[in-house]
Amino acid sequence: MATDRTSNKGSGRTGGKSGKRNAAADRRAKIEEARRKERARDRRNRLVTIVACCVVLAATVGGGWWLVANSDGDGDDAAAPQSGESAEIEGVQTWEDLSRNHVEGQVEYTMNPPAGGDHAQAWMNCDADVYEAEIANENAVHSLEHGAVWVTYNDAAAEEDIATLSDRVSNTTYTLMSPKADQESPIVLTAWGNQLAVDTAADPRVETFLDTFVQGAQTPEPGAACTGGLAE
Amino acid sequence: MSASVRRWLIAASGSIAVVAALLIGLTALAPADSARAAPAEESADVGFARDMSVHHQQAVEMSFIVRDRTDDEDVRRLAYDIINTQANQRGMMLGWLEVWDRNKSSGEPPMSWMDGDGHGEHEATGDGALMPGMATDEELAELSAAEGEDAEIRYLQLMTVHHEGGVLMARAAAEQAGTDEIERLAAGMVEAQESEIRLMADMLAERGAEPTP
Repeated sequence: MATDRTSNKGSGRTGGKSGKRNAAADRRAKIEEARRKERARDRRNRLVTIVACCVVLAATVGGGWWLVANSDGDGDDAAAPQSGESAEIEGVQTWEDLSRNHVEGQVEYTMNPPAGGDHAQAWMNCDADVYEAEIANENAVHSLEHGAVWVTYNDAAAEEDIATLSDRVSNTTYTLMSPKADQESPIVLTAWGNQLAVDTAADPRVETFLDTFVQGAQTPEPGAACTGGLAE
Repeated sequence: MSASVRRWLIAASGSIAVVAALLIGLTALAPADSARAAPAEESADVGFARDMSVHHQQAVEMSFIVRDRTDDEDVRRLAYDIINTQANQRGMMLGWLEVWDRNKSSGEPPMSWMDGDGHGEHEATGDGALMPGMATDEELAELSAAEGEDAEIRYLQLMTVHHEGGVLMARAAAEQAGTDEIERLAAGMVEAQESEIRLMADMLAERGAEPTP
């Protein structure tokens, strides 16, 4: 039976079954609504908590990573190749697993000038030594084993370049220089297992090769002498 | 997620964050000590290690030569001492260069790292003396050809000049060094070599000679 009072509240209604059903339904709806809101709130809170934890974790890991990355490298010249690393010098040929036996007589080397392999018992003096005459491969290779850089030139090398290189070698321990008529390139710099051919002494890679390989990490016998060997 | 679990999680994360921030901050702000930071390319430490390794090597060479040129026990013993001391010290310095990841050789003129007038650049003399105080190729050849007391006197005179150059370099290194290891070794060299200079002056006097020829 309809009355004048209309109300959304089901509870005000006295009445029949439909009234009670509406009131219950409304209550259920409200409860549902509250539950939905609470679930949503819970989801939000969970999300916030998880995100916050992830941020903290990421910041901790990131901070630690940054610390470690910054702990070495102070004062490093990132541009200059470090001792014995040929990778940064363009055009350097490398050889691995070269043998190191002391033998008598001539040796057949797989490259010219030789960059390593079996060699003579006596090393060639490599204490800033510039040789005017050709020297035996087998003695020079022993010098390479001691950490020396061997500079060689053929007839195609310019006089000026020979003078420049002689000057440099004369002022650098653990280097030696000699003519080598049968080599392909005008100027070759050789260390144990590493070799660079250049056309002129002005090539900037000459300095880099010397700095990198004189007593460099490629030296099979660190600490060995460049004096007390053969003087000619 | 229940409220208590959430609270616990927040508290834990917060604690971790605070501790981590503290640790990171402290470590980042801690003064770099020599054990961790390698000296720079232009440092006195690197320059001295390179130069003194070359300098020491010549003293070793001269000492080997004189041991073959005389029977005199005192001179041979002094030479033996210098060989072992300086060869080992050279090994230490080359080892440090490796640990510091620095080349053992540089195209820079020797002693470029030394502060003060007249020590910036040294012209290459071309006579084999790569640094002041070092013997020339000719002087080494003359030592190799000398015998007996002549060889002893030459050796003692050459080594006196050699030590004087060494002391100059070592003193500068001890003053300018950024690492403890170079500071200690260089300071030790100054004392030891000054003592040896005095010893050699006495030995020269016994042979009727002066420290400088």
